[in-house]
Amino acid sequence: MDLSYNEHQRMLAQSARTFMQRRMPKAAVVALQKSESGYEPQIWSTIAQLGWLGLLIPTPYGGGGATLTDAAALYEEFGRGPLPGPFFSSGVLSALTVMEAGDDAQRRRILPEIASGRQIFSVAITEPHRSWGPQGVAMEPRRVGDRYVLDGVKLFVSDAVAASHLIVAVRTGPGADGVSLLIVDKQAKGVSARNLPGLLSWQAEVRFERVEVPADALLGGRENSGWAALTRAMERAIAVLCAFQVGSCQAVFEMSVEYSNTRIQFGVPIGRFQRVQDHIVRLVNHLDAARWTTYEALWKLDAGRPAADSVHLAKAVTAEAHMEACNAAHEVHAGIGSVHEYGLTPHTQLSRTLFNYLGDPKWHKRRMAGVLQW
Amino acid sequence: MDFEVTYSEEQQRFRAEVRAWLEANVPAGITRRPTTDAESAANYRMRRELGRKLGAKGWLYPMAPKEYGGGGLDVDHAIVLEEEADRLDLSLPPYYNSGGTLGAPTILVWGTEEQRKTLLPPIYHGDVRVWQLLSEPEAGSDLAGVRMRAIRDGDHYVLNGQKVFIGSDNGTDWMWTLAVTDPNGERHKNLSWFMVDARLPGITVQPMDLLGAGESSARSGQKNTIFFEDVRVPASCLVGGENNGWRVASTHLELEHGGGGHIGRNRFWHSLLDYCRTTQRDGRPLVEDPDVRDTLADIYIRSQVGRLFGLRNFWLTYARQPRSYEGPQLSLYMKQAGLWMTQQILQVVGPAALTTDPVWGSEEGFLDAQQRNGIVLMHPGGTADIQKVSMARRIGIGRTTREAAGKVL
Repeated sequence: MDLSYNEHQRMLAQSARTFMQRRMPKAAVVALQKSESGYEPQIWSTIAQLGWLGLLIPTPYGGGGATLTDAAALYEEFGRGPLPGPFFSSGVLSALTVMEAGDDAQRRRILPEIASGRQIFSVAITEPHRSWGPQGVAMEPRRVGDRYVLDGVKLFVSDAVAASHLIVAVRTGPGADGVSLLIVDKQAKGVSARNLPGLLSWQAEVRFERVEVPADALLGGRENSGWAALTRAMERAIAVLCAFQVGSCQAVFEMSVEYSNTRIQFGVPIGRFQRVQDHIVRLVNHLDAARWTTYEALWKLDAGRPAADSVHLAKAVTAEAHMEACNAAHEVHAGIGSVHEYGLTPHTQLSRTLFNYLGDPKWHKRRMAGVLQW
Repeated sequence: MDFEVTYSEEQQRFRAEVRAWLEANVPAGITRRPTTDAESAANYRMRRELGRKLGAKGWLYPMAPKEYGGGGLDVDHAIVLEEEADRLDLSLPPYYNSGGTLGAPTILVWGTEEQRKTLLPPIYHGDVRVWQLLSEPEAGSDLAGVRMRAIRDGDHYVLNGQKVFIGSDNGTDWMWTLAVTDPNGERHKNLSWFMVDARLPGITVQPMDLLGAGESSARSGQKNTIFFEDVRVPASCLVGGENNGWRVASTHLELEHGGGGHIGRNRFWHSLLDYCRTTQRDGRPLVEDPDVRDTLADIYIRSQVGRLFGLRNFWLTYARQPRSYEGPQLSLYMKQAGLWMTQQILQVVGPAALTTDPVWGSEEGFLDAQQRNGIVLMHPGGTADIQKVSMARRIGIGRTTREAAGKVL
C-alpha cells in the first residue's frame, strides 16, 4: 500500500508547478478568461515541447507513454491555475479517443500531430436537448459515394473554437452500437463554431452544413464501433479531468486559508471566527473527498482493474466537490471573491462548466449503481 | 499509488494459519446481538475468553511490542489479522476496551519503563478490560476543565469526583482516567493520568439510561456514571508525569479522533442493500425504485469517502507520513454522514427502520441501531464542533502557527 505519487510523478508535478508560477501566474490566467480560444500560442507550444501535451500518447506515436496517474500529477498542477486552453480536450480526451477508436494508420497520422501541438483536437458528442448517453447522438450523416455529408448541430463542445479538428460522434445505426466517430477538419467548408456567451467557459455550438468528410475519416475504418471506444476513452480521461479539478479545489483551499489569515475585520483576522473556519472545514472535506476518490480510480485504471464504478463515483464526487469548494471560498472571501482580478472566479466558472461536462453527478451515480449491479 | 495491501507468500501463509485458528477458536453465535442481560453477560464472557486466547498468541494487540506482551508483528501481519477478524464481524479486541486500545499506546509513549512492564502485559494479554474515563458533568467538550481531584497523600493519590458516559455493560477491570493533581495550578498544567484498579474501595458504577444502541449490549447503548469517593490509588499508577496530563492527552485524543485510521468492510452498507433487495413495496423490491436507487447511491458514496479517509489515515500512520487535520476530519465526516444517513434511510425504508420487531423490523435491528447511533455518535470522542475546531487549528486558520497532530508512534 502506498497512497502517494511516486518519485517520478512528484518531479513532474514540481516542474509543472514551477512552470505555472513563472508562465501562468494568476494575472495571466485572469487575462485569458475573456479570450476566444482560451490559450496563448507561446504557452501552447512550450507545453508541447516539454512533452506534456503528448504525455499519455504511447512512444511509438510520438508521445511520452505515461500512465494516467502521471498525467493526473501534471493536470493537478494545471488545475491550480487553473490553466485554460484545449490541453485536456486535445492531449487527453482526443488522444485517448484516437488510441481507442483509431486504426494503426490513423494513430500514426493523428497522434504525433496532437503530441507536437500542431493540430488541436476536441471531441463533439452532445447535441441539443440530449444527454451524455449513446442515445444523445442523433446526428445522422448521409453517405454520398466515398464521402459522408454532415448536417446538424453539436452543442456544449469544449474548446471547439480553439480546435483545428473535431472528432464528431454520429449516428450510423440503431442503439448504443450505432455510433461512429468521424474526424472533421474544422477548416472544411460548412463547419462553424462559436463560444456560447455567459458563465460557461469555452464551450461552443458547432454547426455542420453540408460538410463533406472523406470516408477514411471514420475512426477505426468500421461503422458502429464508436461508442464502445468512446466509453473506454472517457473512462480514462475522466480520471485525469478529476485530478485537474482536485488541483483547482486545492488552490481555492489555499487561497481561502491565506485570505482568512490576512483579512482583518473587527480588529482580528476573520479566520479567528468559527463561522469562517466552518467554511474552510467544509471546503477541505470536499477537496479530500474529491482527491481520494480520484486517486483510487486512477490506481484501478493504471493497475488494469475493473474501474468503471470508481470512475463514476469519482466524477460524481469531484463535480459536486469542486462546486461546493468554490461556494465555500466565496463565503470566506465575500466581495473580493467576485472581483475577476482576484483570481477566484476562473475556478468558480470552471466548477460550473465542468459540472455537466462528460456527464453530471446524477448521471454518473446512476451508472455507478448499474455497474455495481444493485 | 497502490490502494491495496500486496500480500506476500508469507502473509498468505499467515492468513491460512489465522483463519484456521479463528475457525477453531471463535465460538458460534458470538456476534449475535444479545437481547437480555443474561445473554449479554454470557456473550461478554465468551468474548473475554476469546480475547485471552488471542492475547496468549500475541494477536490481541498484534503490533504492540513483544517485550511488553504484544504480538511484535509488523503492519503486514497486523492487517491480515484485522481482516480475518473483520471477516467474522469481530474487531481486535473483540469487546469494548477503550482504555486499552487508546490507553496502551499512550502508556507506551508516556509511561516509565517500570509502568510499561507492569501495566501493558495484562492489557496486551487480554487479562484486563480497561475503560477510559474522561467526561464529567461539568467537563465535556472542555476536557481540560475536568474537576475530579487526585490529591497526593504519602505514596497514594486520593481520588474524588464523578465521570459520565463511561464504558459499556458488564463492568471493567481497570479505569484509565484524567484528574486534577494541582488544584491551584494553571489550566493545562494541573492534570495527570491514572490507571486505576476498578475494584478499589470507593468506586461506584451506576448505569445511565440512554438513547444509543451499543455494540454487544442488551440495554440500549449502555454507558455509566462512575463515582469516586476517597479512592486511594498507588502513586505508581500516575502515568506521564504529575501535572503533565494535557500533553499526554494529546496522544490519547489523537487516536480517539481517528488519527490511527482503519480498514475493514462496511457491514452496514451490505445489510442495507440486502434489505432493499429483499423488501417489497407496491409489488417490487425497494432497490428497483429509481428514487431509492438515487438515495442509495448517495449513501454508498458517503460510505466510500469515509472508507477512503480511514484508509488514508491508516496509511499515514503506518507509513509514518506527517499528519495534520486528517484524524479529526475522519471523525467529523463519519459523524456527519451518520446523522445525514438517518433521514435518508427513514425516507427509503419508512417506520420499519425504527423498530427492532423481528418480523417487521430489520434483521437484528440494524436499522433501528443506525437511527439511534446516527444521533448518539455525534458526541463521543469530541463533538462534531470540536472536530471542526481541531481541524481549523491544525490547518492554521486565523492563527500564525499550526497546531501539531498528537504524537502516536
